[in-house]
Amino acid sequence: MNAEPEPLLELVGARAAYGPIEVLHGVDLAVGPGSVVALLGPNGGGKSTTMKVCAGLLPLTGGELRFAGRRVNGVTAQDAARLGVCSIPEGRGVFPNLTVRENLWVATGTGATLAEMEEAAYTRFPILGERRHQLAGSLSGGQQQMLALSRALGTDPAVLLLDELSMGLAPMIVTQMYDTVAQLVAEGLSVLVAEQFARAVLPIADTAALMLHGRVVAVGRPGEIEDQLSSSYLGG
Amino acid sequence: MTTFLTFTILGLVLGSVYAIAASGLVLTYNTSGIFNFAHGAQAMLGTFLYWQLTYGWGLPMWLSLIIVVGLVGPAMGAALHTLIMKGLRDTADVTKIVVTVAILLGMVYLSQWIWHPEDARIMEMFFGASAKIELLGVVIRAHEIICLVVAAAIAVGLRLLFTRSRVGVVMRATVDDPDLLRLAGHNPDRVAMLSWAMGSTLAVLAGVLITPIGGGALEANQLTLLVIDAFAAAMFGRLRSIPRTFAGAIVLGMTATYVMAYFPTDWTWTGNFRVSLPMIILFVVLIVLPQDRLRVAAVRTRERYRVPSVRSAATWGGVFVAVVFLLSLLMEDSSITTFTLGMTFAIIALSLTVLTGYAGELNLAPLSFGAVATIVAFHFGVAGTGLAAHLSLWGVLLAVLVTAVVGGVVALPALRLRGLYLALATMAFGVFLSNMVLRDTTEHTLFGVTFSLFPNGTLIVPPLKVGPLDLRDPLTFLLTAAVLFALIAVGLVALRNSGYGRRLAAMKDSPAAAAMLGQNLVRLKFGVFMLSAAIAGLGGVLMAGASGSVAGDNFTIMASLGLVMLTVVGGIGYVSGALFGGLMAGVGFVIIIGTFNDLAMADPAMGTVYTSIGQLAMVATALIGMGVGKNPSGTVHDLVGSYRALRNAKPVLVGGAAAEAVLYVLALTGVIGNWWFAILTACLGMMLPVLGRMLMPAAVLGAEEAARRRSTPLELAGVEEPYTEELRRRLDRELGLPAGAAPATPRRTGFPLAAEEGDVHAVA
Repeated sequence: MNAEPEPLLELVGARAAYGPIEVLHGVDLAVGPGSVVALLGPNGGGKSTTMKVCAGLLPLTGGELRFAGRRVNGVTAQDAARLGVCSIPEGRGVFPNLTVRENLWVATGTGATLAEMEEAAYTRFPILGERRHQLAGSLSGGQQQMLALSRALGTDPAVLLLDELSMGLAPMIVTQMYDTVAQLVAEGLSVLVAEQFARAVLPIADTAALMLHGRVVAVGRPGEIEDQLSSSYLGG
Repeated sequence: MTTFLTFTILGLVLGSVYAIAASGLVLTYNTSGIFNFAHGAQAMLGTFLYWQLTYGWGLPMWLSLIIVVGLVGPAMGAALHTLIMKGLRDTADVTKIVVTVAILLGMVYLSQWIWHPEDARIMEMFFGASAKIELLGVVIRAHEIICLVVAAAIAVGLRLLFTRSRVGVVMRATVDDPDLLRLAGHNPDRVAMLSWAMGSTLAVLAGVLITPIGGGALEANQLTLLVIDAFAAAMFGRLRSIPRTFAGAIVLGMTATYVMAYFPTDWTWTGNFRVSLPMIILFVVLIVLPQDRLRVAAVRTRERYRVPSVRSAATWGGVFVAVVFLLSLLMEDSSITTFTLGMTFAIIALSLTVLTGYAGELNLAPLSFGAVATIVAFHFGVAGTGLAAHLSLWGVLLAVLVTAVVGGVVALPALRLRGLYLALATMAFGVFLSNMVLRDTTEHTLFGVTFSLFPNGTLIVPPLKVGPLDLRDPLTFLLTAAVLFALIAVGLVALRNSGYGRRLAAMKDSPAAAAMLGQNLVRLKFGVFMLSAAIAGLGGVLMAGASGSVAGDNFTIMASLGLVMLTVVGGIGYVSGALFGGLMAGVGFVIIIGTFNDLAMADPAMGTVYTSIGQLAMVATALIGMGVGKNPSGTVHDLVGSYRALRNAKPVLVGGAAAEAVLYVLALTGVIGNWWFAILTACLGMMLPVLGRMLMPAAVLGAEEAARRRSTPLELAGVEEPYTEELRRRLDRELGLPAGAAPATPRRTGFPLAAEEGDVHAVA
C-alpha cells in the first residue's frame, strides 16, 4: 500500500497533436483525491488541449492517461463522462437552442434523473429555476456558466475539469462561480482547473502547475508558482 | 363551392405528403448538418420495393408495408449514416452535397438496373380508388384520408418526441454542439444514426403515399424529383422548425392544386407551371426568408488545393493539345465526335472550377446555363440554310453574353445566399428551366411576336464557322475545342494567380474577414457568377454544335448533378479536375454503356451478363462520388501528388515516358487495339508512382522516410543488435505495456471504475 493516495487523474508523458502539429510534448500531471490543481499559463501553452485530452475529446499520440491508476488511453468522451469525469469546456458549456430545463435533461446522460438535476441546480442557483423554460442562448453569460456548472452539481462526478471558467464574465460572477467550486471541493470532489487569470483560482487551489509551450514547467504550491507567473507571461 | 372544397381537400392531401417527406429531411439535416439530396431517391427506392413486394410477388399489402416502412426504411437510413455520412464531418458544403448527390444518382441507376425503366408499373391507392366517402358533396377517397391522418399523427408524434422525450431533446442538442453532448455522456453518432433511420422511414412512407396520388405510374426520375419538391416546404421552416415545415408543405400543396383548378385552360404553359411551381416557391422562399449572418470564424475544411503557376499551366496546356492531336490520329470520325462532345463538357466543367473551386460558391445546374446559350444561339446565331447552315461567331458571342447576363440575373437575388442555400437556389433555377423553358415547345404570341422558345422539343444547331475555320470537320472541331479548353484553363489559372483570384480565395475562406478588409463581396460574387455562366454558355453552344441536335433531356438537372459530381471527384479546385469531370460526364457513361452493349450484341449468350456489368459500372461511378467524403480534394490532387514525389526519380519518369511512347507507336501501327492502348496507358499511369517507390525509395520518399520504413520489424528487434534500454522502451510502447518498469496490479480505489480487470474498453 502506498503512503501517497493514488491520483484520480494522471497524465504521464502525454503527447497530443492536431493533425501533424504536436501541441503537447510530454505533459506530466496528477490530480489527487479531493485536491484542486490549477493549470496556469499564457495563451497557446496547451492548457485547453490538456483539458481535452483528460476529457477524452482528443486522443493521445504518446504517453498515458490514467484514471485511478488505470491506463485509459483512447477512452471516448462519453465513456469518460460515465466513469465520473465531468468536463465543462471553454466558452459556454450549454446548448443555446435548448431551454434551461432541456439542458439539464441532456446532462442526465451519465445516470442522474432529471428531478435530481433540477433539484441540485435550482437550489444552488435559484435564478435558473425562475428561467427554466427560457432558451439557454438568451441567458446572460453568468447564468449560462451557472447552467454549465449545474451539470457538475447534479451528476456527482469524481473529477471536475474546468476550462477558463472566468472567460468573459464579470469579476463578481467569477467569485460566485469559484465559491460554488470551493463548496464542491469541500464535499470531496477533485478538480483540475485551467485558468489564464491566476488570481481567480489560486485561493482555492492546493497545487498549481505552470504550462508553457506544451510542457508543464513547474509544479508547486500556489504561492510559489504565482511568483513565477509574471515572468512567464511577459516572456522574461 | 364543391369545386373549391374538392381542390382544397386535394391540396391538403398533397401538402400532407410533402410534409411527411420534408419533416424527414429537416430531421436529418438538424442532427447531422447534412442536407440529404438523396432523400427523394430513398423514397423512390422504397416505393419500388413496395411495388415489387405487393404487385410483383403478391404479398399482402400490410406485410409489404411493414417490410418496407418498418424494416427497409430504417435500415437504409442507418446504413447510410454508418457507412457514409459519419465520415463527412469537417468537409466543405460542396463535398457534403456531392456525396448525397452521388447517393441519389447511384440509387436511381440501381433502380433502373433492377426495374427496367421502360416497363409500365402502376400502383393503386390503398383500398382501391373506389373506396370513398362523401362529405358536403365532396368525394374523399380512403387513401386521401390515410394521408391526412398519417401526416397529422407524424406532426403530433414529432412534436412530442422533440419536447417530451429525452432522446428528442438530445437530438436537438446534437445540432448545437456534438462535443458537449459527448461530455454529457451521450453518443452523438448513435443519435444521428437514429435520426437518419427516422428520416429515411419518413421518406419511404412519403414515396409510398404520393405515388398513387400523382397518377400511380412509377418512374424513377420523376418520383425522385417529386420528393425533391418537398425541399421547398423544408425551406419554409429554414430547415429547423418542423411546425413551419408542415405549414409550408400545406401552402405548397394547396397552391399547386389551385393553379391546376383556376388557371385558364387556354394558357398552354399551365401544366409546365404547375410542375415547376415547387421550385419557383423554393427560389422565392430562399430569397425572401432572412438568412444566417456571416459566420465570423473561418471555415476549416479538409480540402486543400495547390495553385499552379501560369507558366506551368501554359506548358501543360500545350502538352494537352499535342496529346489530343496524337490521340485523334488513333480514332475514327465517330469516336472523334464523341471525344469532342466530352471536351465541350469539360469546358462547361471549367465554369465550376472558377465558381466553386476558386470562389467557393455553388452551382448545381451548370448545364442549364449551357441550355440558355444554346437557345440564344439557335434563335439568333444560325446563318444559311440546309447543309450550308452554320453558327456565326457573332451568334456565339451573343449567346455567351446573354448567358453571362442570365447568370448575373440568377445570382443577383441569390447574392446573399451561401453554401447550401445558393446550391438549392441554382438547382431550383435548373429544374425551373427544364420544366418551363425547355418544354415550351408550342408556339404562342406575346406582344405581337409569335414564337416558341424550344420549337418541337429539339434544336438543330449547326457547327460554328469563322472565316476559314469550319467546325463541320470533326478533327478541326476536336482540336478547336481542345485549344479553347486549354486557353480558358490557362486563363483561369492566371486569374487565380492574380489579385482578383486571391480576393476570390479570401472570400471562400472567410467571407467575414474578406468583408472586413474592405472587399465588396457582392461585386466579387456577381462578377465570378457571370464569368462562370459565360464559360458554361460557351461550352453549351459547342456541345450543341458537336452533337448536332439537342433536346430538353440533354440539360436535365440529373445530367447537371452528374457533371458536378464527377468534377468534384476529379478535383474541383483544378482545371484538370474539370477535364476529368467533363470527359467522364460527357462521354464516359456513353462509352461504358456502349462498350458493354456492343459486347452483349456480339455475344448474345453472355448478353445479360455484359449488360449487367454496364449497369454496375454506372452504379460504380456513383460509388466513386460517395468516396469523395474520404478524399475531398479529388483524384487529380492525389495523382499529381504521387507524381510530384517522382520529381527526383528521373530514370523512372523517363522510363515511363518511353514505355508510353512504345504503346502509342504500337497502337498507331495497329499492333494493339485502341482499347488495349487505353487500358495499358491507364495501368502505366497508376503504376508508375508505385514502381518509383519500389525502385528508387530514397529518391521518392526522401532518405529519412525510406530509412524509417526499413526499420527492423518488432519480432526481430534485438536479434541482430544489442538489446538496449531504448529498444526495450520501444517494445513496451508498441505492445501497449505501461511506461515504466512495474507491471500494473489491480488496486482498490474510490474511483468508480466498474470493471475489475482490463482496459477501459471493457467498461464501455
